[in-house]
Amino acid sequence: MEKTAAMFGGNATEGCVLIVDDEPDVRKVIRMTLEKAGYQVIEAEDGEKAIEKINEGENPLILDVMITDIRMPKINGVEAIDYFQKEYPRVPLIVLTGFPDTELATSLLRKGIVDYLVKPVEGEKLKAAVAKGMERREIHHL
Amino acid sequence: MDETPKIRLVILGGGKGGTALLNLLGHLPAVEILGIADKNPAAPALSLARALGITVVDDVVHLIAKTETNLIVDVTGDPTIKAIITAHKSLGTEVLGGAASKLLWNIVQHDAQMQTKLFQTEKLASIGTFSSGIAHDINNPLYLIMGLAENLLDETDTTRRREQTNDILGAVKRIATICQNLTHYARQSTPFDTTNVELNGTLDEALTIAHYATTPKDLSIVKDYANNPVITAKPEEMLQVFVNLMTNAIHAMEGKGHLTLLSECQDGIVRVSIRDTGCGIPQESLEKIFDPFYTTKQPGKGTGLGLHSVKTIVNKNHGQLSVSSTVGQGSNFQMEFPSASPT
Ligand SMILES: Nc1ncnc2c1ncn2[C@@H]1O[C@H](COP(=O)(O)OP(=O)(O)OP(=O)(O)O)[C@@H](O)[C@H]1O
Ligand SMILES: [Mg+2]
Repeated sequence: MEKTAAMFGGNATEGCVLIVDDEPDVRKVIRMTLEKAGYQVIEAEDGEKAIEKINEGENPLILDVMITDIRMPKINGVEAIDYFQKEYPRVPLIVLTGFPDTELATSLLRKGIVDYLVKPVEGEKLKAAVAKGMERREIHHL
Repeated sequence: MDETPKIRLVILGGGKGGTALLNLLGHLPAVEILGIADKNPAAPALSLARALGITVVDDVVHLIAKTETNLIVDVTGDPTIKAIITAHKSLGTEVLGGAASKLLWNIVQHDAQMQTKLFQTEKLASIGTFSSGIAHDINNPLYLIMGLAENLLDETDTTRRREQTNDILGAVKRIATICQNLTHYARQSTPFDTTNVELNGTLDEALTIAHYATTPKDLSIVKDYANNPVITAKPEEMLQVFVNLMTNAIHAMEGKGHLTLLSECQDGIVRVSIRDTGCGIPQESLEKIFDPFYTTKQPGKGTGLGLHSVKTIVNKNHGQLSVSSTVGQGSNFQMEFPSASPT
């Protein structure tokens, strides 16, 4: 299910994105937007599941960018971001949240996240942020 | 204080004045209300009086003649009553009527209005702390709407179009419900209009609102409801009581634990408890938690007015509030109210 984009006849995808959000509706929209743009999408419903997903199978190798909410059950987004930045420094992070919090946004951007987006976000804006993340990833790879 | 003999009064008139007096005087320790009279059996104060176990009569004379009475408060507004009182009252009984009872009524009214304003202020202050939860719950469906609408611009598959349009309609309804819940919660109650309140429904509604105030992580909720627990109160105020207690409980558990909501009806008493498995309250703080502005929360997270309002509202509705708590295990806030007599 998750690797639909990768199954398009072996076509090279634009990259692989992990989305972390507790709302299935939100994951559905992100998936729709990104798959249309040629990305492969992996989903997790909270920070804990995201850690499982990120370590699963070949995911550690193919994962390029992660989009996460802040307000989530179990491990919240801020904790998850600290964790991911420590464990997977090569994966750029985008925050997509329902709550505009300038202070938090500033502190997270200082920590090096790619972008702090507030729902509802236009598809174009989300794709631009993901593209920016993909560029960063390439810089990391070099 | 102790030497002052108890005021044993009877109230004549079961309208707004009578109701206000019952509400105000009903829980003063120095005052005993011996009875209330009104010709109209449907007068609003009478059902309240019955719920409080106060004698209700339609014959004024019978009440006036009671020898234990030392004060008659006449709020009938009926000019002919004065003569009847004079003719039948026992010698030592004082009478508060006419302009004097109007003055009392004005003070009571003013006091109730101030109190209502205070509750409203506390409520509005707490709604400020809900903003992140509300934003989350509104922006998620908004995002669904936006994403689907963007997709529908060039979606050609008819089945998918229908499906996505339906999803949009569902999301719109979800947002409308949130707004409805909030405006209902924010609504200011009117000072005197008590009515029958079914508490299970109020508990459920409060739970929805309490969710906005916190980031529930791993919360399991147990509801143990009695059949139809009804009391006489103001629905807005009871909602505020439960929201405050539940927010405290969820905060104390940092979003993880068991929240138990219990309602019981027994022998004319309605009991409600809200129990959590949170941090608990140390013995030495137990008497402070009801003080206005007592809070252990960071600035911006709590005003310390929550439990003060809770206690005032519960007592005002002739209820008792008690709390038991063990540090590290959790707390239980229990309320008891006189059951509203079946009508
Ligand atoms: N269920 C509970 N478990 C543990 N401590 C509690 C509980 N309920 C209240 N307290 C303690 O009592 C204090 C006062 O509670 P109160 O509801 O009056 O104010 P608050 O929650 O701090 O702020 P707010 O005015 O926003 O409600 C709290 O700060 C907390 O320390
Ligand atoms: Mg509180």
